[in-house]
Amino acid sequence: MASPAIKSGALVTLPELQPSSEFFKEGASLRVTGKLQEYSAETAIAVVADESATLRIDTQHLRELSFRVGSVFQFIGELHIQPNNEAILQARTGRNVDGIDLDLYHQSLQLVRQFQAERMNNSTT
Amino acid sequence: MEGSSLQNTHVKLLGFNLLSLKPSPMNSSTFYLNRHPVSRAEILGVITSRDQKPNKFIKFTVDDGTAAVTCILWLNQLNSPYFSSRQPATVRVLADLAKGMAADVQIGNVGRVRGRITSYRGELQVTVSDVVIERDPNAETLHWLDCLTLARRCYGG
Repeated sequence: MASPAIKSGALVTLPELQPSSEFFKEGASLRVTGKLQEYSAETAIAVVADESATLRIDTQHLRELSFRVGSVFQFIGELHIQPNNEAILQARTGRNVDGIDLDLYHQSLQLVRQFQAERMNNSTT
Repeated sequence: MEGSSLQNTHVKLLGFNLLSLKPSPMNSSTFYLNRHPVSRAEILGVITSRDQKPNKFIKFTVDDGTAAVTCILWLNQLNSPYFSSRQPATVRVLADLAKGMAADVQIGNVGRVRGRITSYRGELQVTVSDVVIERDPNAETLHWLDCLTLARRCYGG
């Protein structure tokens, strides 16, 4: 039963994931969603994009997933900041989410954050 | 909805909300959501861990982006004294159902989990009654919105 606690991947959009963002931290557990722009079967590195923002994903643990450029994928994993300040997400889970309504997803994500912030404030006051 | 009981309803909750429920001092199977006593919950999220003890239980984690919630699905129906007073045929059906659900619980799948809220070593978790794997990519977004609406309209106070 003694397994290390699995951290929840905080919901974040790719455009938000800038070096100045609170999410841009070594080891941060995140959940990201974007369209697959590139994938190398050799290195298992994928690049996902949302608007003009992109993120590299290390998918070496997700060998069963079939990567199709142009499809939308969602990954949960840990962020690693490389010496050149470029980030890569070491993915623990990944899934194809073709058909997701991304506008609704982004808007709902903001509502979930607001709700969570309100509840956290209430419980500390 | 004022005054109606949520005690026997599977309340739809975001993970962080479930983990912050307050245990009742009087009754170990009751928890407080604001002022409402509740005992069952429905959560939905990505399965991010899976640890199976054959013929005993499967312990898995559901991550909905707000928290990772531990879920326990018992697989001991055929050898637990708890089930010995029930019809053997019924127990076999329950065991088969649990086995089928356990097979669906795979890392990366999105699961809708319903069950009893329980406390184990001070941490809240869900003792699973059923798991359904969601294939609609919008299921999680719609679940979030359900949770927010219900929190404001029904679970408030």
